[in-house]
Amino acid sequence: MFNSELMKKLSDCFGPSGREKYIRELIIDEIKDYVDEISTDPLGNLIARKKGSGKKIMFSAHMDQIGLIVTHVDEKGFLRFTNVGGLKAKNLLGLHMVFANGLEGVICQEELKDKEKLTMGKLFLDVGVTDKEFVKQNFRVGDMCVFKSQYYETEDCVICKAADDRVGCYILIEALKNHPNTDNDVYYVFSVQEEVGCRGAKTAGYSINPDLAIAVDVTATGDTPDEIIMEVKLDGGAAIKIKDNSLIVHPEVKDMLTYLSEKNNIKYQYEILEFGGTDAGPIHLSREGVPSGVISIPTRNLHTSGEIFSKKDVEECIKLVRAAAGH
Amino acid sequence: MLKDFLFDICSSQFVSGFEHVNSHILPKYFKPYTDSFEKDKLGSYIFKASGTSETNIMLAAHIDEIGLMVTEILEGGFLSFTSVGGINPASLVAQEVTVFGKEKIFGVIGIKPPHITDAEERKKPLKLKDLYIDTGYPREDLVKMVKVGDIATIKREPLSLQGSRISAKALDDRAGVAVMLETAKELKKISHKSNVFFTATAQEETGTRGAKTSSYKINPHIGIVLEVGFGMTPDMTDLPQLGKGPIVAFGGRLNAKLTKKFVEVCKKYNYPLQYEAVPGRTGTDAEALQITREGIPCILLSIPLRYMHTSVETIDLKDVENAGKAIARFINELDNSDLEEILCF
Amino acid sequence: MFLKELTELSGVSGYEYEVRNYIKNKLKEIDCEYYIDKLGNVIAHNKGRKNKTIMVAAHMDEVGLIVRQIDSKGLIKFEAVGGIDQRVLNSKVVLVGDNKIPGVIGSKAVHLMSKEERGKSLPIDKLYIDIGTDSKEETEKLVSIGDYVSFKSDYVEFGDNMIKGKALDDRVGCSILLELLSMKLDADFYGVFTVMEEVGLRGAETAAYQLEPDLGIVLEGTVSADMPEVEDYYKTTIIGKGAALSIMDNATVYDIDVVREVAKIAEDNNIQYQYRTSGAGGNDAGAIHKTKKGAKVVSISIPCRYIHSSVSVASKNDYENVLRLTKEVILENQKGD
Repeated sequence: MFNSELMKKLSDCFGPSGREKYIRELIIDEIKDYVDEISTDPLGNLIARKKGSGKKIMFSAHMDQIGLIVTHVDEKGFLRFTNVGGLKAKNLLGLHMVFANGLEGVICQEELKDKEKLTMGKLFLDVGVTDKEFVKQNFRVGDMCVFKSQYYETEDCVICKAADDRVGCYILIEALKNHPNTDNDVYYVFSVQEEVGCRGAKTAGYSINPDLAIAVDVTATGDTPDEIIMEVKLDGGAAIKIKDNSLIVHPEVKDMLTYLSEKNNIKYQYEILEFGGTDAGPIHLSREGVPSGVISIPTRNLHTSGEIFSKKDVEECIKLVRAAAGH
Repeated sequence: MLKDFLFDICSSQFVSGFEHVNSHILPKYFKPYTDSFEKDKLGSYIFKASGTSETNIMLAAHIDEIGLMVTEILEGGFLSFTSVGGINPASLVAQEVTVFGKEKIFGVIGIKPPHITDAEERKKPLKLKDLYIDTGYPREDLVKMVKVGDIATIKREPLSLQGSRISAKALDDRAGVAVMLETAKELKKISHKSNVFFTATAQEETGTRGAKTSSYKINPHIGIVLEVGFGMTPDMTDLPQLGKGPIVAFGGRLNAKLTKKFVEVCKKYNYPLQYEAVPGRTGTDAEALQITREGIPCILLSIPLRYMHTSVETIDLKDVENAGKAIARFINELDNSDLEEILCF
Repeated sequence: MFLKELTELSGVSGYEYEVRNYIKNKLKEIDCEYYIDKLGNVIAHNKGRKNKTIMVAAHMDEVGLIVRQIDSKGLIKFEAVGGIDQRVLNSKVVLVGDNKIPGVIGSKAVHLMSKEERGKSLPIDKLYIDIGTDSKEETEKLVSIGDYVSFKSDYVEFGDNMIKGKALDDRVGCSILLELLSMKLDADFYGVFTVMEEVGLRGAETAAYQLEPDLGIVLEGTVSADMPEVEDYYKTTIIGKGAALSIMDNATVYDIDVVREVAKIAEDNNIQYQYRTSGAGGNDAGAIHKTKKGAKVVSISIPCRYIHSSVSVASKNDYENVLRLTKEVILENQKGD
């Protein structure tokens, strides 16, 4: 059964890249009773372990989400900002943003003759405060904010912000609550700073030095009207990645995930993403190299305040993570 | 001999990430001149010629080539594809290809005829998504043989041109691999004290990945990276010429003193050499080697090559031979000098 | 302050010999233990009270030029090493190679330019260095392909406490780091003079690999767009407003708790500071914080106008503030219970 309550909590929790404190605390609370060891590394990666004497397997889903960072505050309550992770100015107009302290703002633009020339520098955040002292006390350079939007679920799908990659976190949490009976030494990593260049995974991969690594992250789909050429579709099952810009999946890992899917009646599809990367990128280049793969959740409308994924796909992904953890 | 080797490896596929497929080929040629063989976890081939000293020298040339990868199987027996590594879509038009499905499948990459393509459209740069591999099979047969993620390469047999020139696909960087074989042969003759690791690296074309993991594994004292460089063509007349020797690089990401030493050795023994300045990124395995672990001092040597990243890459075998011999001599000279002195700042 | 000597040395990325030799000699003078690693980083160790491993980094290298080709008339074609704005190259005096052969970067006289050409900056491939020779052979006796070229620019103190020189990015950091090492603080830290920052943070990565710091402190000369036509929120840093603390750049999202701690140390000690308010750029911190198991990092910078040109400008006031703040941060982190 889909755990809507957990997914909503994960999606609503504040945690842009580099500011993952709250989401980390939330996940610790969720999993601490189910793991043998739990630790946080210097960059803030949360590393949970189910001990074993066998093969060392690392799963990684990133906790961070895209957002904005304040670069200038003026006394009238206008905030200048730049993006944290992949956001474009033209997609931001009019959006509602929320800060860690719960205060909000809306994105406005300077008067522009040529709409095509809209840049981040022409946008500002109006926080709706006229009290100069209040602005000074509550908004500082370096503060970050994230999309504010309502979590929504249908029979089939979830529409929410930060599905990238809180749905990956959800899958790892559900999988580790149901950890298979195995000798494998399994690390469930909730990584930081993926959206700014998979930085957390780099250090976590080095520290853990696994025999096998599998990232769990969202991927784009080819089933919407704007047609990217891609066979991946919602409800098509867990997507087993073959290639993206950061990784060519190790053939043995691809074969293993395919074998496990077929053996356990898990619905799967192959994924080739012609852009982007995941935590598996830096992990597979760690030290002498780590055979690595990715289990992807097909997700539409990525990097917006309403990302859409299928609950059925998520169930298939959980099954595949469990199968891989126990293999 | 040299030509046979190059023809053999250039007519076999080693697409980035799939370097394991033809894994019998390189050992066949390298084993007579080396003492042990292993692979790193990404699939780089490492042949070691053992010496008597503690010094480890790593030679690196990438074995991988750019390839195509099937993204969609369409009605009418067409395959959509993307590239593995950077490729100019225009060079793919009207090529014959081999798709490595359950079995090898022949195909061609066609293009919409000019009669129904307006002038405007003809001028537009092509994109990969405008192109298809035509396999001639109906879709229902094709899906049984090909899966999304299968790879394909251009079908091109190596060709002897006039004199010592040859043309083939993937001479980038099989020419470098051939330099290593030449060095290995030469070292067998003149002997060496250092342990020399001949590394045919994986996944260079997708971001110098195999060089990163293999150099971590080998942890050498110095690195000698072998690549191909742009050779002179009528529209680029100030580039190095084919047959005038390999090109040694100077730049911010290479070791200046080691490079200087190599130039000295070449001058001393009369090996022809050409020069290039590479201010920052070299876009080669040297990128990765230099910052592995505590850092590896590197030099970069390139074989002049025309028409890079196409199926008719062209080199002069003399450059490969000269480079191979020069490096063997360089290793021999390093063996007989104080390496620490050369590397100290 | 060692800025006059340091800025007048040549040290284009990958060829930092002069700067390294100067620093080595200074370290010997102040009797500080050091070694040079495989890429050429100078790693000095100030021994003292220790809670954690601290690495203080400043890069020795500067942006510059490299000889690409010598043409038939003996003129030198070149490429940029590091991020040089082509607009700053026209009509400059440069020094070529180990023997510092003087040359000028020339171009067509304005009289001979067409209307369209006037006022436009020439791209690098249209510029050349003239060392006063007439033939390829003559030039080749003095210059080789691959020779490094740096700007000739004297160190000048001017205006109200201002300085001008080339390579303030990052000789200001080197100078401050040398001063810190001379102080012989009873607080343990490694002072690392890194190589090849301008061509991709290369030295810092291998240095961090060796030292495995818990805290990296990067001392930099950083961008200041503090000029009349620029809006306040675009200035990035303001000259004379104190040490600039980075929040985020292209290479690092700084741990905000660590940054705020440093800001508090500044406030407690009456040291002037500001935030570096741009997400652009990147420095050695980017490499340090991602090496091995990872590290906390802060960047403390001196605002520089016209950075990456031959006439960078900075304030001695900011220099002092960065020096004092860095010292306090080291002491605070290594203090006893």
